[in-house]
Amino acid sequence: MTSLVDVPASAQTATRPSAPRRRRGQTLPFVLLLLGPSAVLILVFIVLPAVYGLWLSLTNTQLTGFAARDPKFVGLDNYTYLLTSADFLNSLGQTGTFLLFSAIIGQTVLGMVAAILLSRPWIRGKGFFGAAVLMPMVVPEVVASLTWASVLATSPEGTLNRVTNAFGGEPTAWLQTAPMLAIILVNIWRGLAFAMIMFQAALEDVPAELIEAARVDGARAVQVFRHVTLPLIRGPVFLYLLLTTISTVGVFGLVYFLTRGGPGGQTRIAAIYIYERALQFSQVGIGSAASIILLVIVLVLGAVYVRLAKVEV
Amino acid sequence: MKRTNVVAAFTASVVVAAGLTGCSSGGGDGSDGPVTITIMETKQTNIDAIGKEIPGFEAEMAEQGKDIKVELIADVLTDEQFMTKMTQQLIAGQAPDVLDIGENMAISWSSAGYLAPLDDYLNEWDGWSHYYPAVKEAMTRQDGQVYSLPSGAGVLNLFYRKDILTELGVDTTQPETWDDLIARLVEVKEKTGDTPIVIPAGTAWGGGTWGEGFMPLLGGTDTEFYDTETDTWDLESPGWLAVFELYDDLVSNGLMPVEDLQNPNPWEPTKYEKFPEGEIQVAAQGTWGWKFDWGPDGATPIEGLEEKVSTWQFPGLRSGDEPYGWSSTGGGYAISEDSEKKEAAWEFIKYLSTGEPLAEQLVASGAASARDDLDDVAPYSEEPQLLQAGKDLGESVFVVTGDGAAQIGQAVASATELILSGEADGQQAYDAFVKDATDLLGPTLVKE
Repeated sequence: MTSLVDVPASAQTATRPSAPRRRRGQTLPFVLLLLGPSAVLILVFIVLPAVYGLWLSLTNTQLTGFAARDPKFVGLDNYTYLLTSADFLNSLGQTGTFLLFSAIIGQTVLGMVAAILLSRPWIRGKGFFGAAVLMPMVVPEVVASLTWASVLATSPEGTLNRVTNAFGGEPTAWLQTAPMLAIILVNIWRGLAFAMIMFQAALEDVPAELIEAARVDGARAVQVFRHVTLPLIRGPVFLYLLLTTISTVGVFGLVYFLTRGGPGGQTRIAAIYIYERALQFSQVGIGSAASIILLVIVLVLGAVYVRLAKVEV
Repeated sequence: MKRTNVVAAFTASVVVAAGLTGCSSGGGDGSDGPVTITIMETKQTNIDAIGKEIPGFEAEMAEQGKDIKVELIADVLTDEQFMTKMTQQLIAGQAPDVLDIGENMAISWSSAGYLAPLDDYLNEWDGWSHYYPAVKEAMTRQDGQVYSLPSGAGVLNLFYRKDILTELGVDTTQPETWDDLIARLVEVKEKTGDTPIVIPAGTAWGGGTWGEGFMPLLGGTDTEFYDTETDTWDLESPGWLAVFELYDDLVSNGLMPVEDLQNPNPWEPTKYEKFPEGEIQVAAQGTWGWKFDWGPDGATPIEGLEEKVSTWQFPGLRSGDEPYGWSSTGGGYAISEDSEKKEAAWEFIKYLSTGEPLAEQLVASGAASARDDLDDVAPYSEEPQLLQAGKDLGESVFVVTGDGAAQIGQAVASATELILSGEADGQQAYDAFVKDATDLLGPTLVKE
């Protein structure tokens, strides 16, 4: 056994770890302990399924029928099929319409208006107004869908039909006559609160003296917002756009419970298309390829937002 | 060892131990102890009926010296939801031991290898010899094996509101042709303003559009649409276009409730609201309508059902076709291939498929017996409509199909949806169907 006493002092100095390295060596187990479980969960539940999904997209895997017994590697066939499929391209178009009008225009604009209104000192009943806007966010998706199914029901007992009837209108099948408009409005209703909260927080960070200075210089309210406020909250706005894009492209339950993609495929957004292909038609290979294509589109959109906002995420 | 390393090692050990404990839980069915098998039911009527039979089965097993318990998993779902959910469970090896399934499921899951073949059990069971030959044929899958034992059989016909049609002065004798029936439906529409007939159509009805609507219409005019020699679908068989044109006729004449059919759960406003209220006068419906849908304990009871409602056979569609009933026999009880308790599961299926337990289930669900020795067993013997349906089974039409039935069902649902939404006529819907079906089936399942 070798004692430290036997080692020359110079050698001891050379082999002894420096203070920062020693601290790093001591803290490494703690770092692993703290980050390890999260890293394992991310690896097991996000990374590996994503990699497996990528692999599935390159195969003709099916869940049922004889084809389920012997899946084969088919290269990029599924991607070629989807990118030449009118149904899939149509579903991407439906997704774009849904995203543009419900999230990018609807939630963002109305959320901003609500936030600005709530930041005005002269507004009365802010608590009530804020609570009313927040309520849709806390309602579970299925409950919200079924509630709106009742509101938009075809029968004369449907809530909206009762309202129109009070003005002499005939009962209307809203989910048949304007299905896309219906799901857009419902999604705006549901996502408005989150936008409002984010924009309210951003507006509070805008220095009041800058606003005051602009007003002293003669700027009108719209000019102040356009040239002072908006540039200062550009980061949070684009961050919100990034988040709402991701969440809206992934919307499934809201549309499935209201229209199931119908009528005639008018609301078959990409999430419904993927569900139908992968789980109803049992074509997991094609469903996985559609998911990967959607993921790439969202990543591209996300990169654009981040670049525009110069947001660090 | 330093203290931080000890803490890390201890924590890791606890996490791993907890994980392993979680993974190993769920056992408890050792070979020496009691065996617990599971069965899943998704219709309230079946949940009640099976729940009622379990104590009797457990007692009978105890008399035989077998300690078998049954756990009923009650989960009310539509057929579509059940198929989606159970497919995942079967793949994961987490399915219940006993499954109560429909024909499309039996075809899709048996061909994928998720169900255990029952032939060895059936060959040793004297009850199997009492099943009608046509039923045995319908249950035999492409590989020549049987994977499910029918829990009941039914005949699909057109149920009509005898009271309403009589009151309107509309002929209630059996229509010989669809032209004849459409003329009567137009008369009803002119007198009431209603959309007088509902036949499952569109995507919202799920698998029912194929199994309870399109297929019975197709099989009555064309039995060549599936080639059992090559196990392929003949998409050019002439019946397909004829049926799409029939749907188009019914929709373009305003005889079908197209808005209801495009809503989620379309059977609710049609079969469960308008037919009981007399606002839809004719409905394509199986034998189970007498109990499951409109019976005293059904989804929406019709008071005085037997006086108010009667049945027609499906009329002939093309020249030379005769009226017919369509038999429904393809589903039943099956055992998961991954089940480790197949013997016990078979004992339970055998019990459910024999004598009084079977008679009670048939009456509860409104199904006819697929066996020839049940007509004298109460309470089935006290149900004239079910007994008649049992007799009609022998004369009813049925076409055995195979792999790809689910995909055909999806393509039919999408194509009929185009007719409902006014985007296609019969020919265009047929063209869309051929394109979709070819796409979904792949080259090996389409007849050259």
